[in-house]
Amino acid sequence: MSIMNTAQLTLLEKFLDLATARQSLLVSNIANVDTPGYRTQDMDFHGEMIRALSQDPGMPMIPVPREVPGLLSRPDGNNVSVDREGLLLAELQLKYQAATQAMRAEFALIRSVVSDAV
Amino acid sequence: MNLFGLLQISGTALLAQRERAEISASNLANADTTRTIEGGPYKRQNVVFAASHPFPSGFFATLAGFTDIHTQTVQVAGVVQDESAPTRRYDPGHPDADATGYVDFPNVNPVEESVNLMEAARSYQMNVSAIQTTKAMIQAAIQIAQ
Repeated sequence: MSIMNTAQLTLLEKFLDLATARQSLLVSNIANVDTPGYRTQDMDFHGEMIRALSQDPGMPMIPVPREVPGLLSRPDGNNVSVDREGLLLAELQLKYQAATQAMRAEFALIRSVVSDAV
Repeated sequence: MNLFGLLQISGTALLAQRERAEISASNLANADTTRTIEGGPYKRQNVVFAASHPFPSGFFATLAGFTDIHTQTVQVAGVVQDESAPTRRYDPGHPDADATGYVDFPNVNPVEESVNLMEAARSYQMNVSAIQTTKAMIQAAIQIAQ
């Protein structure tokens, strides 16, 4: 493990990658809020995170999207819930910002080590 | 998929919702039009939305991250005419009245159109929120380096 490749940074990087993947699903759902027959897509964030950490770090992550069960369908077959998507959008944004803040803190730590050495 | 590509997905939805609002506005504007180029009263128009993965492969698609298949943009697949019967109103003095004194008015229901217009506006706002969230995420990612 080198100075620029800490366990925290690896973890945060995977988290940000997965958050981006999830955001893409949420954005798709919102874009298709009025598309007949469209079904809400999401992913198992916790499960995907565990899978990402257990696999080889060099491997690309391909999260598996799945249909969300238990949502009320409209007569046109669409089951996008604006409340659900809006809530998850806000939650994901805050989590993403928390992760980037943690990443900045980690880099600040590395920077302080480097500057102390000079 | 990267965050810049997500802005484009929301963008397609803004475009689609705006087109829907335009069609609805045209329906409302022509709610009493009895003469058209095709002849007969104006017929109500309706947009059809379809989910798709329309982004072509190539350099720019790769740059925007459109390489995976589960993200879906939205497109207006077409504009269809509502072929239901025109509303017949008795008005013998009207120049377009038939022999019995009835006039064929468009099959536009102003209440229905108003609701449609409101729905389009709300969906538009929802997509604007999605864009703002994505933007905030991009800004947070940029600030990592600062």
